[in-house]
Amino acid sequence: MASLIKALLDWLRSLFWKEEMELTLVGLQNSGKTTLVNVIASGQFTEDMIPTVGFNMRKVTKGNVTMKLWDIGGQPRFRSMWERYCRGVNAIVFVIDAADHAKLDQARAELWSLLEKPQLANIPVLVLGNKNDLPDALTVDQLIEAMNLQAITSREVACYSISAKNQVNIDITLRWLIKHSSSSPAASLPLAL
Amino acid sequence: MSWKKDEDTDELGALMNLDHSAVLQEARVFNQTPIRPRQSRLLLAKILFLLYRGDAMSTTEATDLFFSITKLFQCEDMSLRQMVYLTIRELSTISDDVIMVTSSLMKDMQPKSEITYRANAIRALCKIVDPSMLPGIERFLKAAIVEKSATIASAALVSGLHLFGDAKEVVRRWGNEVAEALNGKALSQGPSFFGGGGAAAGAVTSTSNIVQYHAMGLLYAIRQHDRMAVLKLVQTFSGQSRGGGGGGGGGWLGGGGSGAALRSNMAHVLLIRYAVRVMEGDAGLAGQLQALLGEWVRHRSDMVSLEAARALCQLRGVDGKELAAAVNALRVFLGSPRATVRFAAIRTLNALARTQPEAVQPCNVDMEGLITDGNRSVATFAITTLLKTGNEASVDRLMKQMQGFMAEISDEFKAIVAEAVRSLCRKFPAKHGVFLAFLAGVLRDEGGFDFKRSAIEAIIDLARHVPECKEAALAHLCEFIEDCEFTKLSVRVLHFLGDEGPRTPRPTMYIRHIYNRVVLETAVVRAAAVSALAKFGAAPDAAAADDAALRESVRVLLRRCLDDRDDEVRDRAAWALRMTAAAPTRTKYVRDDSTFALAVLERKLAEYCASPAAAAEGAFSFAAVPRVSRAQEEELRDRERMETMDAVLTGSATTIGGTAAGTGTGPKPAADSLSPSATPAPLDAFALQAQHAARLNAIPELAAFGAQPLVSSAAAAELTEPETEYVVRCIKHVYAGHVVFQFDVTNTIPEQIMEQVEVAMEPANDDAAAAAAAGLAPVVVVPIPELRAGEPGSAYVAFERADPAEFPAATFACTLRFVVKECDAATGEPIDGDEGFEDEYSLEAVDLGAGDYMLATYLPESHALWETLGAASEAVEVFALAAFDSIEACVASVAALLGMWPLEGALRPKSKAAHQAVFTGRWMGAAKVVARTRMTYQKGAGVTMELAVRSEEAAVSALVVGSVG
Repeated sequence: MASLIKALLDWLRSLFWKEEMELTLVGLQNSGKTTLVNVIASGQFTEDMIPTVGFNMRKVTKGNVTMKLWDIGGQPRFRSMWERYCRGVNAIVFVIDAADHAKLDQARAELWSLLEKPQLANIPVLVLGNKNDLPDALTVDQLIEAMNLQAITSREVACYSISAKNQVNIDITLRWLIKHSSSSPAASLPLAL
Repeated sequence: MSWKKDEDTDELGALMNLDHSAVLQEARVFNQTPIRPRQSRLLLAKILFLLYRGDAMSTTEATDLFFSITKLFQCEDMSLRQMVYLTIRELSTISDDVIMVTSSLMKDMQPKSEITYRANAIRALCKIVDPSMLPGIERFLKAAIVEKSATIASAALVSGLHLFGDAKEVVRRWGNEVAEALNGKALSQGPSFFGGGGAAAGAVTSTSNIVQYHAMGLLYAIRQHDRMAVLKLVQTFSGQSRGGGGGGGGGWLGGGGSGAALRSNMAHVLLIRYAVRVMEGDAGLAGQLQALLGEWVRHRSDMVSLEAARALCQLRGVDGKELAAAVNALRVFLGSPRATVRFAAIRTLNALARTQPEAVQPCNVDMEGLITDGNRSVATFAITTLLKTGNEASVDRLMKQMQGFMAEISDEFKAIVAEAVRSLCRKFPAKHGVFLAFLAGVLRDEGGFDFKRSAIEAIIDLARHVPECKEAALAHLCEFIEDCEFTKLSVRVLHFLGDEGPRTPRPTMYIRHIYNRVVLETAVVRAAAVSALAKFGAAPDAAAADDAALRESVRVLLRRCLDDRDDEVRDRAAWALRMTAAAPTRTKYVRDDSTFALAVLERKLAEYCASPAAAAEGAFSFAAVPRVSRAQEEELRDRERMETMDAVLTGSATTIGGTAAGTGTGPKPAADSLSPSATPAPLDAFALQAQHAARLNAIPELAAFGAQPLVSSAAAAELTEPETEYVVRCIKHVYAGHVVFQFDVTNTIPEQIMEQVEVAMEPANDDAAAAAAAGLAPVVVVPIPELRAGEPGSAYVAFERADPAEFPAATFACTLRFVVKECDAATGEPIDGDEGFEDEYSLEAVDLGAGDYMLATYLPESHALWETLGAASEAVEVFALAAFDSIEACVASVAALLGMWPLEGALRPKSKAAHQAVFTGRWMGAAKVVARTRMTYQKGAGVTMELAVRSEEAAVSALVVGSVG
């Protein structure tokens, strides 16, 4: 009987405290954004994706939180449009191919130019070093160093090393994201995109 | 009632008053969380309304809007998504970065999506995709083409048609899929021997007819340049009408597998058009395909039957029996209860009546019934067709019928009828009494300007061309201006009275009417009346005593006009008094028979006004404007009018709903290029010459020869066969001391660029020609530096005449020399590193004859001129031309050789045995030349022709005679 009441209470709570959050995934091409979204959404890894032309929109429900994931293409011609989709979201997720050393400089430059946008001030940023299953992937500390994350002071920043393929650290990533659903600037949406 | 109306218009009114910026402000709705589908959908509708209304949206606005709209992809509401697709399609041309939605649309067109999503996503996708991305989605589109669902398949096929322009190569690869879609599901399911299977196939096919139509269009687009493939396409479906009937009887025994069948009538219509195109390209197949068309005329669908009949009517050289069958089918359609069908039928008959009136005659009775048709377009066509097919006997009846309903019809329609009567007047001059009575009758009725003008012009035409009725016509005109509300028409009539009145036996009658205008009308009309009076005052001195008296009376009237309130009227009166006082000024100014070439004058004045430098140089100079006689001007206008007349008659009915009826838009079958597209407005000779001069003067070497060529050949001579790789046409320009050959070259191969294109001219390989060519020394060769496909360019070769008094005739063998470089057919950019190679292409020979030194121009009163030139300058020769088997052919080739202006009737011999023709022209653009020919034809002996030429320079006469033979 008690368990029944508890279940009922949970259900009621979920009704009232149903939360929605919006996330934008950006990062250079082939860093694993779409793959990550698929893993979060379906829990399955699928290899050999075609490059995202434009954006993908996915809605994922975890517990009582509905996440809207905007997965934006990482090819150079889409980078100018990242900002449009980052405005007013609960968090920006910047995905990096941690094993591709040659592109780190480029990734850092793109990250910093994105964060400099005044429209995006104070939005929390989660930097993910993907593909840590590969042999020469950077560790979290190396990644923080390479991205110069310690220099970011005006907003909340987190950095995890994950693997979408082996589903490593996906759970802590989700936990971080869900944590930011309530403390979001969602209430103060910008007027127009 | 009015209250209810208010409520009805409320919603529309809200849309009409939509404000652009307010709507854009509202667009923030799209960014709200959660999405509000209903509100967003309404807003999208407003945006679409703005776009459809034609509001301009800046790129920034559109881009902002577009990105807001992309946010709506998070909502799964189906009707909202459909609006999103629609709006994206509209914004695709205005906004930047529309490829942003590629991925989302591709997701929506995956097989697991809803059908509605898939079809619409495909249509939106083809609008935003750029050709470089096409290979990525090709796979999905190909799959969609053969999809079972008609919505998806036709979406993919139509998208293929849209993409075909930009990405021909990719779309060409879809041929097999498109062919499968065309042949339909019945085939892919395999022959079914069971009734149940047959019924199922039927159910699928009934919904997928539209797919067949779209597939037919795309397949043709893909294969249109492969004539054999198109022929095969036509032949595949050619057994259809019989097969279809047989299939109906033996449906149980696998009608589905019996061969390709056209279920869609629209596809069938397309097929007919393609069949016609095959026929146009290959005359050998004409017979076979015509029989096919004849069969299709009996198709059970109106649409197909009409199209087949129309195709037969438009084809040249159709078998009489087939044509009769087509006309008969159309005749049946004339009685159709549906206005569309009646319209289509009468329109086709109308077009046919232009070329073969006798073929349409069997329909006359049915068409007479249509004159009172409720649909005005149908009625218009019925009348104009009847006017063409009617014979002299039926005119009376027709006119009576028209008189009966003139009062009930709209003004535009009246104008068309008046136009038609006008052309009929020319056709049957003997019936002038009927026409004049009719026109005078309708002039008395109420009517708008266009209609009255057409009627007035018709009467003027009659007066001018049918001398017997001139006085009656003038009397009607006089009556008309007594009570005319249109100033312009009054002026027109007064002007005409001034021209014609003095030459009638009793001019005084008209003077009374004209002077009444001076008393009663507005200033503009008074001024025109004064000018007309002046012409009476300057009437020719034939009957001297009468005229002097008349002149004095006119001068009395003019003197009274000196007191007019209006400056212009007083000025004109004063001028007229002064000029009519003495005989020389009378002849020189008031009765001046020449006028400036108005088109040239207008252009020169426009140029003068446009260029500040010209004003600085001084006043406008009239020296450069050629003068033509009024008669020539009339003649030119008349000719032009007769040429556009058919277009007016057939085309105006389609514009009748518009503002201007009878603007002369040519008949244009919609979305169909079967008939030659309307020719551009014909340039008059002067404009053409000025155009040549401008181009020649742009080249310094040629500009040195003179301000403009004295003579330019009017028509370009084709030096290549039609449909070859290069199209070359030659125009000859003759200067005082030089001859310039202009070669207009067109490169038709998109894969190559021609460079350094020039024409090498060698005197032809026989002694006489070589000797003649010796009189011509080559001076300059101007090549075309670069010639891309489809952009015509001109190369020039100039010769100097050694002796200005000699006019050598020569024949030149011509060769086109150039360097070929390959290029990308799509972009036209040359392929790097291609050095190119030299190539030659031999052209047909170019002749330079006496006719080329002759400017074809109309000289008025050629008979009097002939006498003035005198027998001293005459050169006569008799030719026995056995090669010709008709006078018509002979006169045409003589006209071409002479290069002179044929006077009316010169080219249209009335009798088969004997003919006289008169030609006029100016040698080297200056000396007047008149040529008279008399020819007789006898079977077996050919044509015997006597050619007599007189000119202002005796030597020229001999040269002209020498040019024939």
